[in-house]
Amino acid sequence: MKKVYKCLPAIIFVAFIVTMLVLFLVLPKKEYSSSEKRYLQQAPEFTFSSLLSGDFGEDFEKFLSDQTAGRNFWVGLSAYYNYAIGNNGSNGIYLCKDGYLVNDPEDMSGLVRNIGFIEEFAEKSPVKPTVLIAPSTGYVCDDILPAVHKEYKDDAEFDMMKAALPAADFVDVRDLFKDTYDSGIEQIYYKTDHHWTAKGAYTAYTALADSLGYTANPESAYEVTEYPGFYGTTYSSSGFWLTDPDTVEVWDSHANDEKNPITVTITDGADTIGQEGMFFLKHLEEDDKYPIYLDGNHPYTVIKNEAATSDEKLLVIKDSFAHSLVPYLADHFSEIIMVDLRYYSASVSELIKNEGIDRVLVLYSIDNLATDTNLGWLQ
Amino acid sequence: MVFSSLLFLFMYLPIVLILYYICPRKWRNLLLFVVNLVFYGWGEPVYVTLMIFSTIVDYTCGYFINKYRETNKKKAKVFLVLSVCINLSLLGFFKYAGFLADTLSYLPFLNIPSLKIPLPIGISFYTFQTMSYSIDVYRGDAPVQKNIITFGTYVSLFPQLIAGPIVRYKDVAYQLDHRRETLDQFTKGVCIFCVGLAKKVLIANQMGALWDNIRATGEMGWLGSWVGIIAYTFQIYFDFSGYSDMACGLGNMFGFEFLKNFNYPYISKSITEFWRRWHISLGTWFREYVYIPLGGNRKGVPRQILNLLIVWFLTGFWHGADFNFIFWGLYFGGLLVLEKFILKKWLDKAPAAVQHIYALFFIILGWVLFYFSDLSEMGAFFTSMFSFGGTAITADAGALALSYLPMLLVAGFASTPVMTNLYRKIENTKAAPLLKTLFCCAVLGIATALLVSQSYNPFLYFRF
Repeated sequence: MKKVYKCLPAIIFVAFIVTMLVLFLVLPKKEYSSSEKRYLQQAPEFTFSSLLSGDFGEDFEKFLSDQTAGRNFWVGLSAYYNYAIGNNGSNGIYLCKDGYLVNDPEDMSGLVRNIGFIEEFAEKSPVKPTVLIAPSTGYVCDDILPAVHKEYKDDAEFDMMKAALPAADFVDVRDLFKDTYDSGIEQIYYKTDHHWTAKGAYTAYTALADSLGYTANPESAYEVTEYPGFYGTTYSSSGFWLTDPDTVEVWDSHANDEKNPITVTITDGADTIGQEGMFFLKHLEEDDKYPIYLDGNHPYTVIKNEAATSDEKLLVIKDSFAHSLVPYLADHFSEIIMVDLRYYSASVSELIKNEGIDRVLVLYSIDNLATDTNLGWLQ
Repeated sequence: MVFSSLLFLFMYLPIVLILYYICPRKWRNLLLFVVNLVFYGWGEPVYVTLMIFSTIVDYTCGYFINKYRETNKKKAKVFLVLSVCINLSLLGFFKYAGFLADTLSYLPFLNIPSLKIPLPIGISFYTFQTMSYSIDVYRGDAPVQKNIITFGTYVSLFPQLIAGPIVRYKDVAYQLDHRRETLDQFTKGVCIFCVGLAKKVLIANQMGALWDNIRATGEMGWLGSWVGIIAYTFQIYFDFSGYSDMACGLGNMFGFEFLKNFNYPYISKSITEFWRRWHISLGTWFREYVYIPLGGNRKGVPRQILNLLIVWFLTGFWHGADFNFIFWGLYFGGLLVLEKFILKKWLDKAPAAVQHIYALFFIILGWVLFYFSDLSEMGAFFTSMFSFGGTAITADAGALALSYLPMLLVAGFASTPVMTNLYRKIENTKAAPLLKTLFCCAVLGIATALLVSQSYNPFLYFRF
């Protein structure tokens, strides 16, 4: 017994590595990781040439790390360990007050180039575009950030963008967002996701009214339905598994009830999906519920509303922040076309001409706009 | 394959341990030889042939050196020269040919294509080991190894194959044939391995992340530059000594006992002392097989200085095929000469704090030389370090420095022998095994977590 006690470290060590080996060998292999949104590496096929080239070894290592027993547990342990040793944000995400998970400041060096593309487009466009950029969560909600954090440079970047877009109508929502956030009644950004909430999108919608020429509905015009249990993408990449989920909300305006349903037509490659109503509630089954708004990312989406307050046509050039905003706009435009330049590469000016577009909105979050490499398609 | 990887920890090591301990004793060296080749060939299977070639050549040379050593000194010498030449040619071709071609291509009248030869892992280490064998057999300092499998096991022994320590044949000659694995030694090995794993994964990788991230912020200010290079100073020590510890620990698990490679180098009071504490097996190798054969200090002061500079040129060049490594070696060679002949008498009289600051200052400057192979980047970094009039630290660099501050302090603390001394006090108490177990569990758990989540796991000494 004494001998066993003396050799305890060795016993534990061998037991641990052998257990990990056995678990790897016997546990069923996962195809897909929902938290990482990617397919996991499967056992590589052994061939003599893949062995000699070293590919087999490389794939095997990926296979092993992707299929390690208790992978999510280890990722979580690592996140909380780094947090405990004072390195909050080591994985690019700060664990903040009130259970907020906030992305650290994005590298803004690509912003100038992309703003240049938008300005070039605005100069040539037959319709003067309206540009709205969503500020970063860390900039708006700065009171929740950890004491030590990198600087969010939204102020300087917004000033730069305003100055660099003389041909467009730039709607600056910084102050409005800060005020709305400071009033503190409702969340305007999700805690577990990088997107704005239904309330945040509504706030942006009110800011756009003048530029796009409509009178915004008051909040009381909407019937709000809450769906709890939303774990967003910030959550899945953070490893902070103990964070509470968000609630996702659907704001439905009474203006468009059964009589005149809004129709959505999504074109994605060769497929076309049609649906009545802008909320795709099948996504409530998933952890990431943000795609309930207009079914998530697609290259080309058309929203038609015969009961709209105007018969104007709106084109939205956008990232995913638009998905939760466009449902408000649908009350005011008989037709809205959304294009996502990440997947849409036809000419946008042609589209404006051919479809008889009356208004153009460019809508991005600052982080996406700084890192997107597809704005060059804007022509 | 590196030790701090999931592949090694949870696949290779458990399988090898199980096979090793169910294998009858007389087959254990053969088993080790085979698994060594698997370990070595994992990344670049083609180079297994190189390892086998080295084994055969040095085995044969050793055999003939021994045969003629007493009867025909001349013939023995031929085989010694042959062995040394083949080893140096291997090293020269795989490690230095590309550098030489690049350098010569600067000459306008020469048209030399750039060579891209992937460096075989650990070649700098095992060629030095095999040379030590031939030389020691020639000198009569080590017995000849008659069994080629046993010899192959020594050449390819996986614990120290990639990053040392450089185990001289005479230090393990007896162990190769007569080692007796014990549970106590195994337990000791597990603990040393965990210490090494902690150094590598818990400290070195974190310091490496700080160094990379702080440089990525661009302008960092003079204080920021110092924080960065101090992080690198810690990274390189914990990376390398962690790897050596893991090697020694693994050696213990298979019944070997290797000599210590690091002895708290950053507590040194002079550069001379630093090099007695840093990468000891390399220093020993150069002293025994280069410095002393050149005449050491027995041929007058000018010759001694020349010998020192030759040794330090080679030491620098050994670390990498680039000019900055040569500068780095000569920089230390120069400092050592200065210390030996001028500074020593003043340093000895200075207060201990001054001596420590002096040594650390020059060690840290040395790491700048070591890190930057691009000389203009090196110059810019030096300028930044000494621009005391400018910004101390930029906002982003400051945030990074603060985030890593606890780990920087831990690294500083772990560079001193305080913990080891504390451990010595409780070593023989009843609680010791329990504490060791808790330590190993914590290290294994956290290291696994960091390895699973961190794709960030480059091993610095791969390029040697």
